[in-house]
Amino acid sequence: MIEIKIKTNSQMASQKALIILVSVLMISFYSVFSIGPMIYAFVGSFADWNPIKDTFQFIQFNNYIHLFNNPLFWKSLKNTIYFVAVVVTGRVVLGFLIALGLNSIRKYKSMMRSLYFLPVIMPIVAVALVWKWLYDPNIGFFQMVLSAFGITNVKFLFDPDLALPSIMLMTIWKDVGYAVIIFLAGLMDVPQSIIEASEIDGANKRQQLWNIIIPTLKPTLIFVIITSIISYFQTFTQIFIMTKGGPGTSTHVLLYMIYREAFQYYRFGYASAITVCLFIVIMIVTFIQFKIMKGGEV
Amino acid sequence: MTKAKLSKGLIFTLLLIGGIAMSIPFIWLLFSSFKHNKEIIGYPPTFFPETFTLTHYLNLNSRFNIGRYFMNSVFLSTVKTVLAVYTSLLCGYVLAKFNFFLKNFLFKIVLFTMMVPYIITVIPVYQMITDFGWKDQYIAIIAPTILSSFGIFMMRQYIKTGVPDELLEAARIDGAGEFRIFHTIVIPLCVNMISALTIFLFLWNWEDFLWPYLVLNTQDKFPLAVALNMFSGQNTTNYGGLFATSLVTILPVVIVYFMFQKRFVEGISMSGIK
Repeated sequence: MIEIKIKTNSQMASQKALIILVSVLMISFYSVFSIGPMIYAFVGSFADWNPIKDTFQFIQFNNYIHLFNNPLFWKSLKNTIYFVAVVVTGRVVLGFLIALGLNSIRKYKSMMRSLYFLPVIMPIVAVALVWKWLYDPNIGFFQMVLSAFGITNVKFLFDPDLALPSIMLMTIWKDVGYAVIIFLAGLMDVPQSIIEASEIDGANKRQQLWNIIIPTLKPTLIFVIITSIISYFQTFTQIFIMTKGGPGTSTHVLLYMIYREAFQYYRFGYASAITVCLFIVIMIVTFIQFKIMKGGEV
Repeated sequence: MTKAKLSKGLIFTLLLIGGIAMSIPFIWLLFSSFKHNKEIIGYPPTFFPETFTLTHYLNLNSRFNIGRYFMNSVFLSTVKTVLAVYTSLLCGYVLAKFNFFLKNFLFKIVLFTMMVPYIITVIPVYQMITDFGWKDQYIAIIAPTILSSFGIFMMRQYIKTGVPDELLEAARIDGAGEFRIFHTIVIPLCVNMISALTIFLFLWNWEDFLWPYLVLNTQDKFPLAVALNMFSGQNTTNYGGLFATSLVTILPVVIVYFMFQKRFVEGISMSGIK
């Protein structure tokens, strides 16, 4: 910041006013709607907190003890991790391959890019409903295709083994385009001169991929992987619209459990205990990201 | 050379097949919305409509009141986006260009809140909204997003290098006050970032579901996403009506995308650059 030489009194005053305005705005906003509520949730996770009965009584670690003894919590955590692992892998691998392909073509590039990108901007509620009908065992598109091959009676969202994978497929379809666009931007940073030089030295496509393209894209890859992990730990809307956690508990994920405990049973304290656990998991992931990013720097 | 051409052709074909597969759900929805309900549930299932009908579209407004929900969504998304873009610019500018006592502390809060899962604040904020008597009012939806940590971060990073100090100094020497400098120099220099952030926030606000679903009770106040969910719960067998309604919720963003295609792609790309 350069020291300001000429300053009138009114300029000094306006500078001060601006800084004070922003400080007051930020402090009041974050205390009321962000940091304050986080502390509220943390404190509330140790309480029997019910907005309908209007109670807020401290019960020490009882919420956490109940939670860790609740098999549904472990099932939800397991489902969430399964979901995160598959969808992140699918999104990153497919996104990377599609970006490589799009990067190598000249004609119709923006039209092709649009085909992959459009689902990203479509509202998730509408998309989840459409896929629910695509998977419908009676009227659905997938049923129609499979029956052409003589396969009938696939229940998709009504089958405990297929329900979560079906939602995973829909999520990858919806979100892969975002990764494609980010990877395409990253691929622009791959130095063309090095690619050409390696060609003269007789390097083949695979060597170029592993030794030039992937190392250049490493920060972008890490960025996409970490932000995807964090956002998929919070998957909710498609579960809510498509299966409501069922059949049984086969698509019960952490956010759906939080929603049910908080807004169907109004056990706010208990639900807050789950959010605190989720918070800790996500902080660990973020911490690992910082470690990798720092280690990745030359 | 021919081998290279062949592999180019193969890549193109694979991409095209993938791209068509990507659009099948949308095409299926489009075709099905022109079928009679009898054909939708009939056997064997059809892909193209056998008899073409516009009934579902003609019934849209009388059965679903789509105009109302659409305007609710436009209103909420616009107000929320405009407010957050403006405050992001303001806070981003101050955090980027001034030295003051709280600066580092405030910036750390911005970074920290970007990583925190939103759900942790949903329960306590819901309790607060109830205590304030804000339930079923738009203020409950607008107030918690007046500031956007993501927006502040994006603007701060851009303004730090994208707005030259010399320009600000020159304006100060000419006697301009800080608020005038912000509105007449800083904002015009950030046009690209503003459009990128506007697109992002607008899309998020447009598809926002859980929070409006939780705080609103009056049907007439519902945004499109919440109304669509309600409608699908009430009309489980009127498939054609549901298809047409879903299509109409999806269509606006698709049109907006084709109008601002370049900006969309730029905006998304910028979000990935740290």
